[in-house]
Amino acid sequence: MANLMANLGLAFAILGAALAACLAGAGSAIGVGVAGQAAAGVVTEDPNKFSKVLVLQLLPGTQGIYGLLIAFICLSQVGVIGTPVEVSFAKGLMYFCACLPMAIAGLVSAKFQGQASVASIGLVAKKPDQFGKAMIFPAMVETYAILALLISLLAIMGVSNINI
Amino acid sequence: MAVLQMQRISICALKKNRKQILETLQRRGVVEITDISPQDSVFTKADTSQAKAQFEKNAATASQALEVLDTYEPLKTSMLDMFAGQALLSVEDYEAFSKERDEVMRIANLLVSLNKKVAENKAEILKLQAQLDALTPWLGLDLSLRFTGTRTTAAFIGSLPDEQTLEAVYTQLAEHAPEVSAVNVDLISQSKEQTCVMVVCPRADAPAVEEALRAMGFVRPASPAKEPPAERKVMLEQSQAEAEKAVAAAEEEIRGLAGMRDSLRFMVDYFSTRSEKYDAIGRLAQSRCTFLLSGYIPQRDCAALEAELGGKFDISIEFETPSEEDDAPTLLKNNYMAQTVEGILESYSLPGKGEIDPTPIMAVFYYFLFGLMLSDFAYGAMLAIATGVLLVKFKNMDAGLRNTMRMFCYCGISTAIWGIVFSSYFGDVVTVVSRTFFGHEVIIPPLWFTPLDDPMRMLVFCMAVGIIHLFTGLGIQLYQHLKAKRYMDALAKVVFWYMLVGGGILFGLSTEMVISILQLKFMLPAQVGSIFGWVAVIGAIGIVLTNGDSKNPLVRFAQGLYELYNVTGYLGDILSYSRLLALGLATGVIGSVINQMGSMAGGGVIGAILFIVVFLFGHSLNLGINLLGAYVHCNRLQYVEFFGKFYEGGGRKFQPFAPHTKYYKFKEDIHNG
Repeated sequence: MANLMANLGLAFAILGAALAACLAGAGSAIGVGVAGQAAAGVVTEDPNKFSKVLVLQLLPGTQGIYGLLIAFICLSQVGVIGTPVEVSFAKGLMYFCACLPMAIAGLVSAKFQGQASVASIGLVAKKPDQFGKAMIFPAMVETYAILALLISLLAIMGVSNINI
Repeated sequence: MAVLQMQRISICALKKNRKQILETLQRRGVVEITDISPQDSVFTKADTSQAKAQFEKNAATASQALEVLDTYEPLKTSMLDMFAGQALLSVEDYEAFSKERDEVMRIANLLVSLNKKVAENKAEILKLQAQLDALTPWLGLDLSLRFTGTRTTAAFIGSLPDEQTLEAVYTQLAEHAPEVSAVNVDLISQSKEQTCVMVVCPRADAPAVEEALRAMGFVRPASPAKEPPAERKVMLEQSQAEAEKAVAAAEEEIRGLAGMRDSLRFMVDYFSTRSEKYDAIGRLAQSRCTFLLSGYIPQRDCAALEAELGGKFDISIEFETPSEEDDAPTLLKNNYMAQTVEGILESYSLPGKGEIDPTPIMAVFYYFLFGLMLSDFAYGAMLAIATGVLLVKFKNMDAGLRNTMRMFCYCGISTAIWGIVFSSYFGDVVTVVSRTFFGHEVIIPPLWFTPLDDPMRMLVFCMAVGIIHLFTGLGIQLYQHLKAKRYMDALAKVVFWYMLVGGGILFGLSTEMVISILQLKFMLPAQVGSIFGWVAVIGAIGIVLTNGDSKNPLVRFAQGLYELYNVTGYLGDILSYSRLLALGLATGVIGSVINQMGSMAGGGVIGAILFIVVFLFGHSLNLGINLLGAYVHCNRLQYVEFFGKFYEGGGRKFQPFAPHTKYYKFKEDIHNG
């Protein structure tokens, strides 16, 4: 039984890592997807705006990368990548919880950052010289993904120092 | 560090010198001409819109002609050409080019009309093809489709719906017109959609047969030709060949004119320059023999312009300091290092009236924060070298682009330095390669510490950087208040905030809780802490008491309380700098992930090949994405957190009357460039 509990710990930790990569990645896919549709529309009218709208399209893509980052750190902490370590049930659950901020905030913020990007792409289509400002609106949304990343990161690092 | 002082300039001169004076002004490009509204009947404004429109039309024609050339005879361009900038044109070349302008414009029009001809003929070919397609089912018929019969017989040529056999057609005819005795049906062609037939019957039966055919869905061919189908086909094919020949000839002619590209480019510049000049003329107030010009000029250029114009013409020039109501434009002047981020400032907003130019201070923080976010020696070095090479290779690069390139070059240097401080070289490539391929691990020690091993320390450092950044912003606000002698504002909006936020932070550093959260190794003594605590309290009370502007003391108190609520804003601002940690870690960790993936196949030749492929692909992706992230979030920290503390902007950009050319730079204006 104790053995099973220990294995469950590892399973929960991996579930957390998987959720961080999946949900944040899915959010980014949604965000980049809708922004890409808007960007393609602008480029049909004016191919010269390609580089500008591409930058705006890419902005919601970072959540997926943050998710990957959390997943990777989590996996390496529990020894799935690198040297295997013992993960207790409680510790595994902690890792799982530590991954949640990135997973959930990543999903939601990427989706809405994508919508902000769509609006900014519309702005650049009409006023290309306002590119600097257009970039800031989606970046505002990303702040919350960054805060979630920070908490997930600190939590995973903290959990690995706890002896349970 | 400066917003240049503007002067109002008024010029009064003789009309006969108008052309030369305006040309001198345009060449020097230091005066922004404003509209004068004539106040009496002596001065009027010339309507130059017609001439201007003509020049604009010419410029448009020349650029259309260039587009035509680019379509049929594309220039071989590489990605790097976008950095090349404008070619220089000497005065002699300018003269030579402008002499042949009528000829060049004739060619430009010719190119445009040739292009139109190509388009028309291509449309014609398509039309003919459609006619040919419609004719195909009738090719078996050796009569004209208009044939309706002889004296005694009536003929119906047309199609029936669906594929039908001859027998079926006879049967249906017999059903619909049983009284008709003699009828002959010839099948001409069949397809899934239709059956083409010719039905012949005696004239007398014609109405009955027609009725029957209509009931069967008989349709006559659309727009039948006089000639039999086969003959018609030959004719159509001939016209098609002719149209194709015309297209080929026109395209050949267009290609033959490819040598005119340079002249056409010159024409675009020439006519847009002239149109600008006429726009300027339209802004002058003119009498019979004189004209008045009014505008803005940076103070540093006043003397030189006065000397040049005064020496050559009979002219009266006056300078005066713009009044408060004047909408004077803004021009920045910064040293070589700081100039580069002027573009970043400009895309936020230029300094408004009475504001200082924050560019130099911003530049320092910009490079610092950018490097901290990307923080990898190899990425930074690559960025700096790539932009450096472009800068050296393309001397004529457009000024705006040049600034951007230089900015990224400095950002790259800063990134490389931070990379050494935190020991990041393509992530951890040195460690991974030495372990995988050479068997013993080499670790380059960081100059300071590795953020991934001690993220809390890094977080505290980032927030400390943030506090310095924010306090610098507040400091600029203080300076502006003091300069304008608004001492009360300086106290209420800056000094009390310094006391509250600064005192609060230092008080926090004396408490057990904050120290343990931040995992700091030092702690302020309790007495010192309580002193700062009181400082913060005084600051808070000061803010509440001084920030209201209502006459009613209760409302004023409420306004003060509301202002105090901004303390949450400070908390948010400081936390916002945690992105420095997150983005910095992201670069390093993703780099490490890439290295680890690359080393999965172990050592040996195959391992090395896999490593190189993964390395190249992965790190270019990582660099690209993190470069974008660092740029965007660096801008955000400047715009939102830093500018939020002192900067309003709203200045109007100085747009001097100058030749705004697209392809060439006329050499004369190098002297004052």
